[in-house]
Amino acid sequence: MDGLALYFRLIRVAVQARLQYRADFLAGIIGVIVMNTVTVSLISIMVSRFRHINGWTMWEMVFLYCLWLLGHSLYSFFFWHIRALEEYLVEGTFDQFLLRPASPFIMFLAREVQYIGIADLTFAALGLSLAYRNLDLQWTGVQWLFFGLAVIAGTLIETTLVLMIACISFWTGRSRRASQLLMRLNVMVQYYPIDIFGYTFRLIVTGLIPVAFMNYYPTLMLLGKLDPQSPWSWLGYMSPVVALILVILASGIWHLALRRYSSAGG
Amino acid sequence: MKIFWSFTRQAFQFIAAYRFNFFMEFVLVILRMYGIYWVWRVLYTQRPGAFGVSLDQMVTYGVMGMALEMFIWSRPQWYMANQIKSGAIDTDLMKPLDFHLYMLARSTGETLIGVGVLALPALLAAYLLLGVQYPPDAWTGLMFAVSLVLGFLLLFHLNFLLGSLAVVALDIRHISWAYFSLVRFLGGQIVPLWLFPTFLRVVADVLPFKGAYFIPISIYIGKLSGVAAFQALGFQTVWLVILVLLSRLLWGMAHRRLVVQGG
Repeated sequence: MDGLALYFRLIRVAVQARLQYRADFLAGIIGVIVMNTVTVSLISIMVSRFRHINGWTMWEMVFLYCLWLLGHSLYSFFFWHIRALEEYLVEGTFDQFLLRPASPFIMFLAREVQYIGIADLTFAALGLSLAYRNLDLQWTGVQWLFFGLAVIAGTLIETTLVLMIACISFWTGRSRRASQLLMRLNVMVQYYPIDIFGYTFRLIVTGLIPVAFMNYYPTLMLLGKLDPQSPWSWLGYMSPVVALILVILASGIWHLALRRYSSAGG
Repeated sequence: MKIFWSFTRQAFQFIAAYRFNFFMEFVLVILRMYGIYWVWRVLYTQRPGAFGVSLDQMVTYGVMGMALEMFIWSRPQWYMANQIKSGAIDTDLMKPLDFHLYMLARSTGETLIGVGVLALPALLAAYLLLGVQYPPDAWTGLMFAVSLVLGFLLLFHLNFLLGSLAVVALDIRHISWAYFSLVRFLGGQIVPLWLFPTFLRVVADVLPFKGAYFIPISIYIGKLSGVAAFQALGFQTVWLVILVLLSRLLWGMAHRRLVVQGG
């Protein structure tokens, strides 16, 4: 628990440091809002012109995207700099985390915040509530609980995947491009329901790099689109479990990587 | 002409030095094409022949849009912003070459390499695997080539204008995010303009962005042909002239304002 208190103390400092740059903040917020608006407009135009895509209507697509975005916004607020790990390693700044009398993991995580995630958060919340109304959803308490869990699971899935890929740079020195590949898979999953893609692709984003659990599978459950006939319908409930497995895996890899670490010097 | 080649060679050497990066980039382009292919395939299986276009034409449109990501790939505005921020721009300005032309040569070199090493191989794969079409005839192919060059020049000048802004704004990273998504959207890189609702169509029709993607690709798939295609080329040319003049004017102003810190 001491670690958590320390973490939030450092995060507060990081936020204060970031708030020194007001104009940058404003430009960032506007940039993110424009990006999201464009994304949702593209999806809406495409789907509304064809009424649905593989049975997904426009508002269901908005829900799918915004559920992804909500989990992603928490990731991008707190954990965005994980992908910059290779720079910490190459420049040797990583050493300072190791010299302090606290967990290097906490020191690294609390190093920075990307407050622009606030714009993503607002946009996602707005999109989800609009979709909720337009789809005439009436969730029970259990479904709300699952929704909360799914969002946290989404954040954890993205964070742990990025962390594991970033850890490659402990061995190779570089990991940027590998993380871009992850981003691209992620982008395809965030816009479109994976059931429109081929079998191999679905297998990859479900079993190998399980980004589909960030939004697709929980959305099936939350919008009542689970097919009870299908032997795979239980996947709709699996997001929290997948997140837990990934957390365990990532923590193992992180500790393995730390033991492997030798400073770049400098 | 000689400077163009020297920049092309430079860009090639850069790529040769980072082969893994380049391989990943290639995989990313293929993934993009694969994604858009399935989207249109599903939509057109639901409603064959919608909006007067066949599935093959639509898939070709989508895949070409992804291949032309190369046009955004060379980002002179980032180079300019970095040089201005670090102060290294003074070495660029000291070169015995007009800065605007220098950036154009750089960008052309990078884009040629991007097209040759990434876009063409990816397109070849798409021809074989995704059923992308060739242009209907040689004449269309020629029109497409002209339109493509105009489109590249259009986008270069828009980028250059954004880069000039860095003199005033210093950090243009966030503005760039908004800019890139607007180019993609209003340019019709992913969703063609004929699907837009009327009010958006009106806006996108007068802005220069559609010259970068929508016009060349529409010519390629044969959606724009005959007189309409010529008009479209005219539209690109007019905007290009406007943007060149604007670039000269704005960079001239920015140049006078430019303050290089330290050094």
